[in-house]
Amino acid sequence: MILYVLRRLTAGLVLAVLVTMITFLLLSTSLDDIAGSILGSSATPARIEQQKAQLGLDRPVLVQYLDWLSHAVRGDFGLSYFTSEPVRSAIAARLGVTLSVVLVALLLTAVVGVTLGVLAATRAGVVDRIAQGASLFGHLVPNLLIAIGLVWLLALRLHWLPATGYTPLAEDPARWAASITIPVLALTAAGAASLTSQVRGAMIDELRKDYVRTLRTRGIRLRSILLRHALRNAAGPALTVLSLEFVQMFGGALVIEQVFALPGFGSYAFNASLQGDIPIIMGITLFAVLLVVCVNLLVDLANGWLNPKARIR
Amino acid sequence: MRIRPPHTSPRSLALVALTTTAVLLTTTACDGQAASSSSTTSTLSLAIMGTPNSFAPAQLTEGQQAYVWSSLYDTLLLVNDDGDLRPGAAQRWTYSDSGRTLTLTLRTGMKFSSGSPVTAAAVKATLNLIRTSGQNQTQLAAVDSIDAPDDRTVVLKLRNPDASLLHALAGAGGVIADPQTMRTSGSALNPVSSGPYTLDKGATVNGSVYVLKRRDDYWNKQAYPFPTVKIKVISDRAASVNALKAGEINAGSVEAQQLSSLKAAGFTTKLIEATSVATLLLFDRKGEVLKPLGDVRVRKAINMAFDREKMVRLFLKGSGRATEQLYHPLDEGYDPALDHTYPHDPAGAKKLLAEAGYPDGFSVHMPSLYFTKPFEPTISQSLADIGIKVTWDPAPAQQTISALATRKYPMALVIDGLDPVPVQTRDYFSPNGYRNVFASSDPRLTRLLLKANGETDASKAAEVYKQIDAFTVNNAWTAPVFYIGVHWVTKKGIVFRGDGSSTQNSLRQFGLAGQAGG
Repeated sequence: MILYVLRRLTAGLVLAVLVTMITFLLLSTSLDDIAGSILGSSATPARIEQQKAQLGLDRPVLVQYLDWLSHAVRGDFGLSYFTSEPVRSAIAARLGVTLSVVLVALLLTAVVGVTLGVLAATRAGVVDRIAQGASLFGHLVPNLLIAIGLVWLLALRLHWLPATGYTPLAEDPARWAASITIPVLALTAAGAASLTSQVRGAMIDELRKDYVRTLRTRGIRLRSILLRHALRNAAGPALTVLSLEFVQMFGGALVIEQVFALPGFGSYAFNASLQGDIPIIMGITLFAVLLVVCVNLLVDLANGWLNPKARIR
Repeated sequence: MRIRPPHTSPRSLALVALTTTAVLLTTTACDGQAASSSSTTSTLSLAIMGTPNSFAPAQLTEGQQAYVWSSLYDTLLLVNDDGDLRPGAAQRWTYSDSGRTLTLTLRTGMKFSSGSPVTAAAVKATLNLIRTSGQNQTQLAAVDSIDAPDDRTVVLKLRNPDASLLHALAGAGGVIADPQTMRTSGSALNPVSSGPYTLDKGATVNGSVYVLKRRDDYWNKQAYPFPTVKIKVISDRAASVNALKAGEINAGSVEAQQLSSLKAAGFTTKLIEATSVATLLLFDRKGEVLKPLGDVRVRKAINMAFDREKMVRLFLKGSGRATEQLYHPLDEGYDPALDHTYPHDPAGAKKLLAEAGYPDGFSVHMPSLYFTKPFEPTISQSLADIGIKVTWDPAPAQQTISALATRKYPMALVIDGLDPVPVQTRDYFSPNGYRNVFASSDPRLTRLLLKANGETDASKAAEVYKQIDAFTVNNAWTAPVFYIGVHWVTKKGIVFRGDGSSTQNSLRQFGLAGQAGG
């Protein structure tokens, strides 16, 4: 198992190196433009060359990349070209905001999706129709629209929650919860819809299998059959859906961050891309790749824990 | 097989779901005051659309982010709400030697937030930094040398008279930084203040919210009625409206469609009709890359291709106005009569093109920039109507500056913030202006530019600028289309004092209702 984890982590690091290298190569086509942006519209070619030399952008691209990589492995991601903010601490702060929203949304997605999925699978009739209706609603209505509706209701009408902004958890837990509630609910809607469909389908398949009938004839309690056997077997695909949801929520955080003016990872990445802020873009790329690698690894490990057949030997 | 046991619902899961949701909602619902606590008149909570760049004195950029840095740095001169230059840290200024020596006399008793005195040596050090590095070197390009003969006197020797210099000294080109710290990395995020506010670093989250605390020892404190200012970065206008309605901010700029609901909610609104201008810049006036543009009849035809009023209705919905010139409509150099030079007349335009030898029109490539995309179909159609076929070359956002700075494109659509007339003249019409990419010149215009730069009497200078305006419009140097405005919305009790005459963004523009401006 340890070897497996190490192998996966090594593969993840190789992937991170490849992705960051490709990113740097793509950025290297705009080095003049980036130096020009730092100096403003009126910069002369001579000043642009001077700026490039100052930032080390006049060296061969591979040398520049290896220089960045050698600093990155030591935890030094440099300073933003445009704000002079240290990239590592800036990314950590913004990652905290986005992960606050995404992880809580993912937790809620899991709880709501599994609950509705199991209910729909085990109870036909009205419960199933309601669960499927809710799932369809989540699929059909865009996150953005749900977010707008929730802002109108919970922030502007009822004044229960703030419409914009973010309060760090360490500063004030209650206000932190307030600041993320609407974004979390908006993100959860679509995620829970996908998961409900997945869990419902998988549970129906499991409950039709012979082992369930056998377990029932042996007098095993139904709750035990559902939770310890059927749900466990159905959880594998659900976990895969959850990991995809994580990537989707993380990648799509920009829209939610814009709507709620959250100082998160998505809007930070977007602004850095517009400006061509190489240190930030590189840092963001690396963190995003490592995050996705880690999540996929965790999902695979969880799958192995749930299903002995999926374990790596 | 469906199973319908009487007690088989996974209640534990449901319980967790309900508990999680309830915890989120109840903890937050109890915190309802969060939504309204920031909105007191002692605190100005202002939304800006873009994230401020570095606060290092040589890296300051104009636009809404100036609300932050202009609060942290004092400037040598000020621009009042009417757009007129006024004494700032420099109590007075005088030109001598045919406009080639500028002497500034500083106020007494000014201090940095560190307690050090603001001296002529500090001014000299900052100006030298700005003119030799960073974003704003062009603003001080005319400066040849700077002397500080005593603690209160700064003397600028100029290579040539420059009418835009005083405006530069009222903006990013004229900030005063602490010479001890201005080159350190700390100045980029939390500079020593010479201005009316200091940055509350503990409450500030870079890129999200900037909290400013007013200094009691600032010489012009009365012009800043708010002891605390929170400047929030909200790039989405709908989010700004929500924040206004929820009481999370008490001032912000919004779009025209959102005004009625805000007015109904008791907010005060003010339209600033022109903050930027959308222009089709006709760079290649000698026809070096695109021969037809060298003919003034072609450039006039392009000007006649646009139904400006319709475009204003279509795109701006009341937040702007049509224009055929680049100067600020509230400036003395602006001539309203020139706005009727090129009425929308596709048939007349085609006739002009035929007279110029292009009866079948011609093709042109223009850069497609992230801010031009909404307008491209209309611009393409307008030009196609007179026979000019446009191909838009996609340019990534980070290549915007270079796409416009190289001679690759003979013409381009730009949207630029409006500057004072001397600055607009320098940037668009002087041979080394950054928006005069092909360095076009004309003997008549050169004479006018020299005259404007050497004229220290404002009213006489305005007359010269009117002549420059007339020359550039009549010779179709550019094809301006419309001014873009902005609607400022403030909570009851707070006023936006400006009328758009001043192009400098400053917290002096915000005041308390019933109190005079500073």
